[in-house]
Amino acid sequence: MTTATRPAPASSPGRTGASALTIAILVVALIGLADAAYLTYEHYNGLSGLLCLGGHHGHSSCTTVQSSTYSKLDGVSVALLGLIGYVALLATLPFRGDLFKAAGFGIALIGFGFSAYLTYREVFTIKAICEWCVGSAICMTLLVILTGIRFLRAGPATP
Amino acid sequence: MASRKEQKEQARQRRMAEEQALAEKVRRQRRLQMMVGVVVAAVAVIAVAIAVSTSGGSGGGNGLQHGKALNQTEQQVSSLLSGIQQSGTTLGNPKAPVTITYYGDLECPVCRDFTLQGGFPQLVSNDVRQGKVKVVYRSFCTATCNSHPSSVFNQQQVAAYAAGLQNLFWNYAELFYRQQQDETTDYVNSAFLNALAEQIPALDLKKWQTDLKDPSLLAQVQSDEQQASSIGVSGTPTLVAKGPKGEQPVGATVPTYSDLEAAIKQVS
Repeated sequence: MTTATRPAPASSPGRTGASALTIAILVVALIGLADAAYLTYEHYNGLSGLLCLGGHHGHSSCTTVQSSTYSKLDGVSVALLGLIGYVALLATLPFRGDLFKAAGFGIALIGFGFSAYLTYREVFTIKAICEWCVGSAICMTLLVILTGIRFLRAGPATP
Repeated sequence: MASRKEQKEQARQRRMAEEQALAEKVRRQRRLQMMVGVVVAAVAVIAVAIAVSTSGGSGGGNGLQHGKALNQTEQQVSSLLSGIQQSGTTLGNPKAPVTITYYGDLECPVCRDFTLQGGFPQLVSNDVRQGKVKVVYRSFCTATCNSHPSSVFNQQQVAAYAAGLQNLFWNYAELFYRQQQDETTDYVNSAFLNALAEQIPALDLKKWQTDLKDPSLLAQVQSDEQQASSIGVSGTPTLVAKGPKGEQPVGATVPTYSDLEAAIKQVS
Protein backbone atom coordinates (compact mmCIF):
# COMPACT_ATOMS: atom_id res chain seq x y z
CA MET A 1 0.00 0.00 0.00
CA THR A 2 1.61 3.20 -1.07
CA THR A 3 -0.74 5.40 0.95
CA ALA A 4 0.42 3.88 4.29
CA THR A 5 4.05 4.89 3.76
CA ARG A 6 3.41 8.17 1.96
CA PRO A 7 5.32 11.01 3.69
CA ALA A 8 3.53 14.13 4.84
CA PRO A 9 3.58 16.95 2.28
CA ALA A 10 6.88 18.81 2.42
CA SER A 11 5.16 22.13 2.99
CA SER A 12 3.30 21.06 6.16
CA PRO A 13 6.08 21.66 8.74
CA GLY A 14 6.90 24.92 7.00
CA ARG A 15 3.29 26.00 7.25
CA THR A 16 3.13 25.17 10.97
CA GLY A 17 6.43 27.00 11.55
CA ALA A 18 5.30 30.06 9.63
CA SER A 19 2.02 30.20 11.54
CA ALA A 20 3.83 30.02 14.89
CA LEU A 21 6.16 32.76 13.65
CA THR A 22 3.22 34.94 12.61
CA ILE A 23 1.60 34.46 16.02
CA ALA A 24 4.89 35.35 17.73
CA ILE A 25 5.15 38.51 15.60
CA LEU A 26 1.52 39.36 16.40
CA VAL A 27 2.07 38.98 20.16
CA VAL A 28 5.31 41.00 20.26
CA ALA A 29 3.86 43.72 17.99
CA LEU A 30 0.75 44.00 20.19
CA ILE A 31 2.92 44.39 23.31
CA GLY A 32 4.94 47.08 21.52
CA LEU A 33 1.73 48.73 20.33
CA ALA A 34 0.35 48.91 23.88
CA ASP A 35 3.68 50.34 25.12
CA ALA A 36 3.79 53.00 22.37
CA ALA A 37 0.10 53.84 22.84
CA TYR A 38 0.66 54.45 26.57
CA LEU A 39 3.70 56.66 25.92
CA THR A 40 1.83 58.58 23.20
CA TYR A 41 -1.14 59.13 25.52
CA GLU A 42 1.15 60.36 28.30
CA HIS A 43 3.13 62.56 25.91
CA TYR A 44 0.01 64.44 24.83
CA ASN A 45 -1.38 64.57 28.37
CA GLY A 46 1.52 66.38 30.01
CA LEU A 47 3.27 63.24 31.37
CA SER A 48 1.46 63.83 34.65
CA GLY A 49 0.59 60.16 35.22
CA LEU A 50 3.64 58.50 33.65
CA LEU A 51 4.60 55.46 35.73
CA CYS A 52 8.32 54.86 36.09
CA LEU A 53 10.78 53.06 38.34
CA GLY A 54 13.78 55.40 38.16
CA GLY A 55 14.21 58.92 39.53
CA HIS A 56 16.08 61.84 38.01
CA HIS A 57 16.36 65.34 39.49
CA GLY A 58 13.31 64.96 41.66
CA HIS A 59 11.08 63.59 38.94
CA SER A 60 10.97 60.27 37.14
CA SER A 61 13.67 59.29 34.66
CA CYS A 62 10.90 58.50 32.13
CA THR A 63 9.71 62.11 32.39
CA THR A 64 13.26 63.33 31.77
CA VAL A 65 13.53 61.16 28.64
CA GLN A 66 10.03 62.00 27.42
CA SER A 67 10.69 65.73 27.89
CA SER A 68 14.08 65.70 26.20
CA THR A 69 14.68 67.05 22.71
CA TYR A 70 15.02 63.43 21.53
CA SER A 71 11.39 62.67 22.40
CA LYS A 72 10.31 64.47 19.23
CA LEU A 73 11.31 64.14 15.61
CA ASP A 74 10.75 67.43 13.84
CA GLY A 75 7.98 68.25 16.31
CA VAL A 76 6.29 64.83 16.16
CA SER A 77 6.39 62.60 19.25
CA VAL A 78 8.64 59.57 18.64
CA ALA A 79 6.15 57.54 20.71
CA LEU A 80 3.49 58.40 18.11
CA LEU A 81 5.86 57.41 15.31
CA GLY A 82 6.46 54.10 17.11
CA LEU A 83 2.72 53.58 17.44
CA ILE A 84 2.27 54.19 13.70
CA GLY A 85 5.14 51.74 13.05
CA TYR A 86 3.51 48.96 15.10
CA VAL A 87 0.15 49.52 13.39
CA ALA A 88 1.78 49.43 9.95
CA LEU A 89 3.70 46.26 10.85
CA LEU A 90 0.52 44.57 12.11
CA ALA A 91 -1.27 45.60 8.91
CA THR A 92 1.23 43.58 6.84
CA LEU A 93 0.62 40.34 8.78
CA PRO A 94 -2.57 39.02 7.12
CA PHE A 95 -1.03 39.24 3.65
CA ARG A 96 0.91 36.34 2.09
CA GLY A 97 2.97 37.99 -0.62
CA ASP A 98 6.71 38.54 -0.40
CA LEU A 99 6.16 42.28 -0.76
CA PHE A 100 4.18 42.45 2.50
CA LYS A 101 6.69 40.27 4.32
CA ALA A 102 9.48 42.53 3.06
CA ALA A 103 7.51 45.59 4.16
CA GLY A 104 7.00 44.09 7.64
CA PHE A 105 10.72 43.39 7.91
CA GLY A 106 11.57 46.90 6.66
CA ILE A 107 9.29 48.58 9.23
CA ALA A 108 10.76 46.45 12.03
CA LEU A 109 14.28 47.26 10.85
CA ILE A 110 13.61 51.02 10.83
CA GLY A 111 12.05 50.72 14.30
CA PHE A 112 14.99 48.70 15.55
CA GLY A 113 17.60 51.11 14.15
CA PHE A 114 15.93 54.24 15.51
CA SER A 115 15.24 52.55 18.88
CA ALA A 116 18.94 51.65 19.10
CA TYR A 117 19.86 55.32 18.45
CA LEU A 118 17.36 56.53 21.09
CA THR A 119 18.65 54.00 23.64
CA TYR A 120 22.18 55.28 22.97
CA ARG A 121 20.93 58.84 23.61
CA GLU A 122 19.23 57.73 26.85
CA VAL A 123 22.37 56.08 28.21
CA PHE A 124 25.09 58.45 27.02
CA THR A 125 23.43 61.84 26.44
CA ILE A 126 20.35 62.18 28.64
CA LYS A 127 21.81 59.81 31.27
CA ALA A 128 18.34 58.65 32.28
CA ILE A 129 16.50 55.46 31.37
CA CYS A 130 12.85 55.21 30.40
CA GLU A 131 11.67 51.63 30.98
CA TRP A 132 8.83 52.03 28.49
CA CYS A 133 11.27 53.10 25.77
CA VAL A 134 13.58 50.17 26.56
CA GLY A 135 10.53 47.88 26.43
CA SER A 136 9.67 49.14 22.96
CA ALA A 137 13.31 48.79 21.86
CA ILE A 138 13.27 45.13 23.00
CA CYS A 139 10.01 44.55 21.06
CA MET A 140 11.54 46.07 17.93
CA THR A 141 14.69 43.93 18.33
CA LEU A 142 12.57 40.77 18.56
CA LEU A 143 10.42 41.90 15.64
CA VAL A 144 13.36 42.51 13.33
CA ILE A 145 14.58 38.95 14.02
CA LEU A 146 11.14 37.36 13.67
CA THR A 147 10.09 39.27 10.55
CA GLY A 148 13.53 38.60 9.01
CA ILE A 149 13.11 34.84 9.55
CA ARG A 150 9.53 35.00 8.27
CA PHE A 151 10.60 36.77 5.12
CA LEU A 152 13.55 34.48 4.35
CA ARG A 153 11.74 31.25 5.21
CA ALA A 154 8.55 32.07 3.36
CA GLY A 155 7.35 29.36 0.96
CA PRO A 156 5.09 29.93 -2.02
CA ALA A 157 1.87 29.57 0.00
CA THR A 158 2.86 30.17 3.61
CA PRO A 159 1.20 32.99 5.54
CA MET B 1 10.85 -3.32 -15.40
CA ALA B 2 8.64 -0.30 -15.50
CA SER B 3 6.23 -0.02 -18.34
CA ARG B 4 6.59 2.76 -20.89
CA LYS B 5 3.68 4.60 -19.24
CA GLU B 6 5.40 4.47 -15.84
CA GLN B 7 8.69 5.64 -17.35
CA LYS B 8 6.88 8.60 -18.91
CA GLU B 9 5.24 9.42 -15.60
CA GLN B 10 8.61 9.24 -13.78
CA ALA B 11 10.20 11.50 -16.39
CA ARG B 12 7.31 13.97 -16.06
CA GLN B 13 7.67 14.00 -12.27
CA ARG B 14 11.46 14.53 -12.55
CA ARG B 15 10.88 17.44 -14.90
CA MET B 16 8.32 18.91 -12.56
CA ALA B 17 10.67 18.52 -9.58
CA GLU B 18 13.48 20.20 -11.52
CA GLU B 19 11.18 23.03 -12.54
CA GLN B 20 9.99 23.45 -8.95
CA ALA B 21 13.58 23.48 -7.66
CA LEU B 22 14.50 26.07 -10.27
CA ALA B 23 11.45 28.18 -9.43
CA GLU B 24 12.29 27.98 -5.72
CA LYS B 25 15.90 28.96 -6.44
CA VAL B 26 14.71 31.99 -8.43
CA ARG B 27 12.27 32.90 -5.64
CA ARG B 28 15.02 32.63 -3.02
CA GLN B 29 17.34 34.81 -5.08
CA ARG B 30 14.57 37.36 -5.60
CA ARG B 31 13.81 37.35 -1.87
CA LEU B 32 17.48 37.91 -1.03
CA GLN B 33 17.63 40.79 -3.52
CA MET B 34 14.47 42.25 -1.94
CA MET B 35 16.00 41.88 1.50
CA VAL B 36 19.12 43.78 0.44
CA GLY B 37 16.88 46.50 -1.02
CA VAL B 38 14.81 46.69 2.18
CA VAL B 39 17.97 46.92 4.33
CA VAL B 40 19.40 49.73 2.16
CA ALA B 41 16.09 51.65 2.25
CA ALA B 42 15.72 51.14 6.04
CA VAL B 43 19.28 52.35 6.68
CA ALA B 44 18.57 55.46 4.58
CA VAL B 45 15.37 56.19 6.55
CA ILE B 46 17.18 55.67 9.89
CA ALA B 47 20.04 57.96 8.79
CA VAL B 48 17.60 60.74 7.85
CA ALA B 49 15.68 60.30 11.15
CA ILE B 50 18.91 60.50 13.17
CA ALA B 51 20.04 63.58 11.21
CA VAL B 52 16.70 65.33 11.91
CA SER B 53 16.79 64.27 15.57
CA THR B 54 20.37 65.50 16.04
CA SER B 55 19.71 68.83 14.33
CA GLY B 56 16.73 69.41 16.62
CA GLY B 57 14.81 70.80 13.68
CA SER B 58 15.55 74.43 14.50
CA GLY B 59 17.10 76.95 12.23
CA GLY B 60 19.97 79.39 12.72
CA GLY B 61 23.54 78.95 13.91
CA ASN B 62 22.81 79.15 17.65
CA GLY B 63 19.53 77.27 17.36
CA LEU B 64 17.43 80.36 18.00
CA GLN B 65 14.35 81.08 15.94
CA HIS B 66 14.33 83.57 13.09
CA GLY B 67 11.83 85.24 10.79
CA LYS B 68 8.26 83.99 10.83
CA ALA B 69 8.81 81.44 13.61
CA LEU B 70 10.31 84.11 15.88
CA ASN B 71 7.50 86.58 15.10
CA GLN B 72 4.97 83.94 16.04
CA THR B 73 6.78 83.15 19.30
CA GLU B 74 7.05 86.84 20.21
CA GLN B 75 3.34 87.28 19.57
CA GLN B 76 2.49 84.28 21.77
CA VAL B 77 4.65 85.61 24.63
CA SER B 78 3.23 89.09 24.25
CA SER B 79 -0.41 87.92 24.26
CA LEU B 80 0.23 85.76 27.35
CA LEU B 81 1.97 88.46 29.39
CA SER B 82 0.78 91.84 28.12
CA GLY B 83 -1.23 93.77 30.67
CA ILE B 84 0.01 91.65 33.59
CA GLN B 85 2.15 93.42 36.15
CA GLN B 86 5.73 92.20 36.56
CA SER B 87 8.11 93.11 39.34
CA GLY B 88 11.50 91.42 39.37
CA THR B 89 10.75 87.70 39.17
CA THR B 90 7.13 88.18 40.29
CA LEU B 91 4.31 87.89 37.79
CA GLY B 92 0.95 89.32 38.76
CA ASN B 93 -0.54 91.70 41.28
CA PRO B 94 1.83 91.94 44.28
CA LYS B 95 -1.26 92.07 46.51
CA ALA B 96 -2.74 88.83 45.13
CA PRO B 97 -3.95 86.65 48.04
CA VAL B 98 -2.22 83.50 46.77
CA THR B 99 1.44 83.22 45.85
CA ILE B 100 2.81 80.32 43.82
CA THR B 101 6.54 79.97 44.16
CA TYR B 102 8.02 78.30 41.09
CA TYR B 103 11.48 76.71 41.55
CA GLY B 104 12.92 76.32 38.07
CA ASP B 105 15.96 75.87 35.87
CA LEU B 106 15.80 77.53 32.46
CA GLU B 107 17.52 74.53 30.82
CA CYS B 108 15.14 72.03 32.43
CA PRO B 109 12.93 70.40 29.76
CA VAL B 110 10.27 69.45 32.33
CA CYS B 111 10.03 73.13 33.36
CA ARG B 112 9.63 74.00 29.68
CA ASP B 113 6.80 71.46 29.36
CA PHE B 114 5.07 72.87 32.44
CA THR B 115 5.55 76.48 31.34
CA LEU B 116 4.45 75.97 27.75
CA GLN B 117 2.12 72.96 27.75
CA GLY B 118 1.28 72.26 31.39
CA GLY B 119 -1.01 74.25 33.64
CA PHE B 120 1.07 77.43 33.60
CA PRO B 121 -0.42 79.25 30.54
CA GLN B 122 -3.97 78.73 31.85
CA LEU B 123 -2.92 79.82 35.35
CA VAL B 124 -1.53 83.04 33.90
CA SER B 125 -4.49 83.68 31.57
CA ASN B 126 -7.05 83.10 34.33
CA ASP B 127 -5.93 83.48 37.94
CA VAL B 128 -2.85 85.69 37.51
CA ARG B 129 -4.55 88.01 35.02
CA GLN B 130 -7.54 88.35 37.35
CA GLY B 131 -5.25 89.29 40.26
CA LYS B 132 -6.09 86.21 42.35
CA VAL B 133 -2.63 84.64 42.15
CA LYS B 134 0.92 85.86 41.67
CA VAL B 135 3.83 83.66 40.60
CA VAL B 136 7.29 84.15 42.05
CA TYR B 137 10.21 82.49 40.28
CA ARG B 138 13.15 81.04 42.19
CA SER B 139 16.29 79.44 40.73
CA PHE B 140 17.23 75.84 41.44
CA CYS B 141 19.85 74.03 39.37
CA THR B 142 18.87 70.59 38.04
CA ALA B 143 19.18 69.87 34.31
CA THR B 144 21.94 72.46 33.78
CA CYS B 145 24.09 71.09 36.60
CA ASN B 146 23.71 67.56 35.24
CA SER B 147 25.98 68.41 32.31
CA HIS B 148 27.60 71.76 33.10
CA PRO B 149 29.39 73.59 35.90
CA SER B 150 27.20 75.79 38.09
CA SER B 151 28.74 78.88 36.43
CA VAL B 152 26.64 78.18 33.32
CA PHE B 153 23.51 78.00 35.48
CA ASN B 154 24.43 81.22 37.26
CA GLN B 155 25.10 82.99 33.96
CA GLN B 156 21.75 82.07 32.41
CA GLN B 157 19.70 82.75 35.54
CA VAL B 158 21.43 86.10 36.07
CA ALA B 159 20.63 87.01 32.44
CA ALA B 160 16.94 86.42 33.17
CA TYR B 161 17.10 88.26 36.51
CA ALA B 162 18.76 91.20 34.74
CA ALA B 163 15.69 91.38 32.48
CA GLY B 164 13.70 91.27 35.72
CA LEU B 165 15.33 94.56 36.79
CA GLN B 166 13.37 96.04 33.87
CA ASN B 167 10.28 94.01 34.89
CA LEU B 168 10.69 91.74 31.88
CA PHE B 169 11.88 88.57 33.62
CA TRP B 170 8.93 86.49 32.43
CA ASN B 171 9.35 87.64 28.82
CA TYR B 172 12.95 86.47 28.97
CA ALA B 173 12.07 83.16 30.67
CA GLU B 174 9.24 82.45 28.20
CA LEU B 175 11.52 83.13 25.23
CA PHE B 176 14.22 80.91 26.78
CA TYR B 177 11.81 78.00 27.31
CA ARG B 178 10.37 78.38 23.82
CA GLN B 179 13.85 78.13 22.28
CA GLN B 180 15.33 75.72 24.76
CA GLN B 181 17.68 73.09 23.30
CA ASP B 182 19.28 69.84 24.36
CA GLU B 183 20.55 70.46 27.90
CA THR B 184 23.57 68.22 27.37
CA THR B 185 24.97 70.56 24.71
CA ASP B 186 26.81 73.85 25.29
CA TYR B 187 24.20 76.04 23.61
CA VAL B 188 23.93 78.48 26.50
CA ASN B 189 26.66 81.09 26.11
CA SER B 190 26.90 84.88 26.01
CA ALA B 191 25.85 85.00 22.33
CA PHE B 192 22.73 82.91 23.01
CA LEU B 193 21.75 84.96 26.07
CA ASN B 194 22.34 88.25 24.21
CA ALA B 195 20.30 87.08 21.24
CA LEU B 196 17.41 86.22 23.58
CA ALA B 197 17.60 89.69 25.14
CA GLU B 198 17.47 91.22 21.66
CA GLN B 199 14.19 89.41 21.06
CA ILE B 200 12.46 91.54 23.73
CA PRO B 201 11.58 94.85 22.04
CA ALA B 202 10.83 96.62 25.36
CA LEU B 203 14.21 95.70 26.90
CA ASP B 204 16.88 98.37 27.21
CA LEU B 205 19.75 96.25 25.93
CA LYS B 206 22.54 98.52 27.22
CA LYS B 207 21.12 98.58 30.73
CA TRP B 208 20.59 94.80 30.62
CA GLN B 209 24.23 94.27 29.62
CA THR B 210 25.41 96.51 32.46
CA ASP B 211 23.10 94.76 34.94
CA LEU B 212 24.62 91.37 34.06
CA LYS B 213 27.61 92.46 36.16
CA ASP B 214 25.44 93.41 39.15
CA PRO B 215 26.67 91.16 41.99
CA SER B 216 23.29 91.30 43.70
CA LEU B 217 21.76 89.20 40.89
CA LEU B 218 24.24 86.36 41.36
CA ALA B 219 23.66 86.61 45.10
CA GLN B 220 19.93 86.31 44.46
CA VAL B 221 20.41 83.13 42.38
CA GLN B 222 22.60 81.60 45.09
CA SER B 223 20.22 82.63 47.83
CA ASP B 224 17.30 81.06 45.89
CA GLU B 225 19.20 77.78 45.69
CA GLN B 226 20.01 77.78 49.41
CA GLN B 227 16.42 78.58 50.28
CA ALA B 228 15.15 75.81 47.96
CA SER B 229 17.53 73.26 49.49
CA SER B 230 16.50 74.30 52.99
CA ILE B 231 12.85 73.44 52.28
CA GLY B 232 13.76 70.14 50.60
CA VAL B 233 13.34 71.02 46.91
CA SER B 234 14.97 68.23 44.91
CA GLY B 235 13.69 68.73 41.38
CA THR B 236 12.26 71.24 38.97
CA PRO B 237 9.65 72.43 38.45
CA THR B 238 8.66 72.50 42.11
CA LEU B 239 5.62 74.61 42.86
CA VAL B 240 4.40 75.70 46.26
CA ALA B 241 1.12 77.56 46.73
CA LYS B 242 0.84 79.88 49.74
CA GLY B 243 -2.29 81.69 50.85
CA PRO B 244 -4.35 82.71 53.87
CA LYS B 245 -4.92 79.06 54.82
CA GLY B 246 -1.28 78.01 54.65
CA GLU B 247 1.07 76.32 52.22
CA GLN B 248 0.46 73.50 49.77
CA PRO B 249 3.04 71.93 47.41
CA VAL B 250 1.71 70.99 43.97
CA GLY B 251 2.36 67.25 43.66
CA ALA B 252 2.45 66.40 39.94
CA THR B 253 5.65 66.28 37.89
CA VAL B 254 4.20 68.45 35.14
CA PRO B 255 1.26 70.06 36.97
CA THR B 256 -1.91 70.56 35.01
CA TYR B 257 -4.24 73.49 35.57
CA SER B 258 -6.47 71.22 37.71
CA ASP B 259 -3.46 70.35 39.93
CA LEU B 260 -2.72 74.06 40.38
CA GLU B 261 -6.35 74.91 41.01
CA ALA B 262 -6.61 72.20 43.66
CA ALA B 263 -3.57 73.60 45.50
CA ILE B 264 -4.87 77.19 45.20
CA LYS B 265 -8.27 76.14 46.58
CA GLN B 266 -6.64 74.51 49.60
CA VAL B 267 -4.71 77.62 50.60
CA SER B 268 -7.37 80.25 49.70
